[in-house]
Amino acid sequence: MNIEIELFGQLLPRTQRRQTLSVKRPLLVREVANIIGLKPEEVGLITIDGVQSEMEDTVELGCRLCFFPHMSGG
Amino acid sequence: MLIFQANGAMMKLLRVNMKQLQVEWDQVPTVYEQLGGRALIARLLLEEVPPTCDALGPHNKLIFTPGLLGGAGVTTAGRLSVGSKSPLTGGVKETNAGGTTGDALGKLGIKAVVIEGQAEQGTLYLLHIGNDSAEILPAGELRGLGTYATSDRLQEQLGADCTVISIGQAGEFLMLGAGIATTGERDQRSNHAARGGLGAVMGSKGLKAIVIDKPVRKTVPFADADLFRTASRAYAQKLINDPKLGTQGSQHLYGTASIVGAVNEMGSLPTRNFGSGSFEQSTDLRGEHMREVILAREGKIGTRCMPGCVIACRNQYVDEAGMPIVGTLQYETIALVGSNLGIGNLDDVARLNYMCNDFGLDTIETGAALGVAIEAGLVQFGDTEGIISLLKQVGEGTVLGRVIGNGAVTAGRVFGIRRVPAALGQAMPGYDPRSLKGNGVTYATSPQGADHTAGNAFGARKEVNPLGIEGQKELSLKLQIIAAMLDSTGLCLFARPPVIADPQLMVDMLNGIYGWGWNKDDLDRFYRDVLRNELEFNRRAGITSADYRIPEYMREEPLAPHNTVFDVPDAELDAVFETL
Repeated sequence: MNIEIELFGQLLPRTQRRQTLSVKRPLLVREVANIIGLKPEEVGLITIDGVQSEMEDTVELGCRLCFFPHMSGG
Repeated sequence: MLIFQANGAMMKLLRVNMKQLQVEWDQVPTVYEQLGGRALIARLLLEEVPPTCDALGPHNKLIFTPGLLGGAGVTTAGRLSVGSKSPLTGGVKETNAGGTTGDALGKLGIKAVVIEGQAEQGTLYLLHIGNDSAEILPAGELRGLGTYATSDRLQEQLGADCTVISIGQAGEFLMLGAGIATTGERDQRSNHAARGGLGAVMGSKGLKAIVIDKPVRKTVPFADADLFRTASRAYAQKLINDPKLGTQGSQHLYGTASIVGAVNEMGSLPTRNFGSGSFEQSTDLRGEHMREVILAREGKIGTRCMPGCVIACRNQYVDEAGMPIVGTLQYETIALVGSNLGIGNLDDVARLNYMCNDFGLDTIETGAALGVAIEAGLVQFGDTEGIISLLKQVGEGTVLGRVIGNGAVTAGRVFGIRRVPAALGQAMPGYDPRSLKGNGVTYATSPQGADHTAGNAFGARKEVNPLGIEGQKELSLKLQIIAAMLDSTGLCLFARPPVIADPQLMVDMLNGIYGWGWNKDDLDRFYRDVLRNELEFNRRAGITSADYRIPEYMREEPLAPHNTVFDVPDAELDAVFETL
C-alpha cells in the first residue's frame, strides 16, 4: 500500500513535490519525515487527509500526507 | 482657507472640522495620552461619538492614528490605523494599512487626525498636512478619480515624496464596501485600510484625500534612547531569526499567499461563495506558483509595504510582458476574489484586485458580494469577463454596481440569497469557520465583526484542534488580545512572535519612547482595555449577541471536504469575554 506525500513551500527544495511512498504498515508522521530526509524542526504544519496533525500521529495506508513550512496566517 | 501653524515637540491632535472647513491643533487630552492606534480609536469613539449615531452622518468621526511605536523606527511598526463607527457593522471599527503614513504621522508628532462634521453635500476637499501646518483645499477636480489617479495627480502637484491617503469612486458613492488607500515608498500605491466601510465614512465627510508632506528633520523624542534601541534591535533580530519570517521564511519567499495550499488542504479555503472548503484549481493560486510566475516575468518579490520592514512579504505581480498589474497580491484577495468566485488563474485575480484597489473597494467584502451575486445567477462561477463586467459597474455607480459595492449582506438581501458569509454585517475573510472553528469564534465575538486580523487561529493546532469545539473560546480570546496589542502599537500582524514570546521587549520599547515606567501587567491591562472599550461602544450602539452570530446556514450545511458545520454553542460564544 502507498502513502501519498506532498511537500509545500521551501521544504526540501530539490525534491519532488509529490511522492508516493510504498509501505507495508502504517507509519508515524515522524517516520515518514525521516524516510524522505525532512527535519522535523523545518516543518510548521502537517495534514493527514486534510486534518491538521502532529509528528506523533499515525499515517494510515492510503492516506495523503502534506508537510508545510512554518507559516503565518494572512 | 484657514492655515494653522503647529509648534512644540509635544504630541498633538489635529482636529479637522469639515462643516466649518477649519483645522485646529489640540493638545492631547490626558485620557488619550497613553493610547495610540486601535486603543485610541476605541477610547475616542467611546468619549466623543454618540454610539447610536448615523455612521455616515455628521456626528460620526473618522480617525487616522499611528500606533504607539509609529515614527520611532521600529521595524514593521509603521502601520496606520483608521477608525470610526462602521456603517457596515454599526459598531466600532479599526482597520489598518502599511505604507508610509503611520511613520510620517509619528515623526510629525501627530497622535491622531480626527475628521469631524460634514462638508456641504456635493463638495469635495483634501486635507494637506505639512511639517508644521495643515490646510483644507477644494478638491472638486478629483471627483470620480480612482485611488491610483488621485495619488498620481496629488504627488505631481504636491511632491513625489508626500504620502497620499485617498478614496476612490466607491467611497464617493458611500458604498459600504469602500476602503481607504494609502501610498508607500516611491511608486507604491495599493496599501488599503480596507475593512468596515470606512471609505464611505471618508466620502460622507466630503474628504477625497489627505496629503502628508515627508517629515523633514522630524524625529520621535526618546525618554530613554538606550533602552529603546536595545529592545528594538533585539526585536528586529528575533524577527529575522524566526523561521516563518526571515529571508528564508515562507512569508518572505511567498508572501501571505504562502498559506493558500495549507488552507485548501485543511478544507477552509472559501470556494464558490463558501460552498466548499477546497478548490480544485488551488495549485494555480498558491504562493509557490505565484513566486515562479512573478520571477519568470521579472516582477518583484520580497518588497516592503513599510520602510525598514525586515519581513518584506510584498510583491509586484506583472503580466506576461512584465508590466505591473497590481502590487501586492495577497492571500485574502486570492481567496475571496479567486477561489470564492471559482477563478483559478492569478492573472485574473490580479486584474480584479487592481480594479478593487482603484475603485477603493475592500477585496474581501467585494469578493464575498460577488460570490453572492454569482450564486444568484448574475454570471457563472469562473466567468472572469462576466465578473469584471459586474465589478466595472461598481466603479460606474450603476444600480447593480451599488448593490454589489454595498457588500455581501446588501447583495444577499437584494438578490434573495440566504447564504451570505458575514458576521455583524461584515463579510468573512478567507477561512471558512466550519473547518477553522477558532476563526469562527473570533468572527462571532469580535467587536470588529468577521475579521481575521482580530484573532486568527490558523496554524494553532498544537493548542486546539481546528475541527473541534474544545478550547476554541480560550484560544480566540487569547488571539483577540494579541491582535489588540498589534493594532494599538502599529505592529504588523506577522510581527507578533517576538513580542508574544517576550512581552518585556514591548514594555522596553514603549518605556524607551515615552518613559511611562510600565511593566508587563500594565501592558496586559492596556491590551484588554482596548477590547473592553470596543465592546462597550458596541453595547451602547445597541448591538446584541444575536448580531454577532455566525449565519444559520453555516450551522446546518456541512462543508466539504470534512463535512463539518460550525457547532460551537452560543453559550460558549457568549462566554468568550468572561475572563477579559
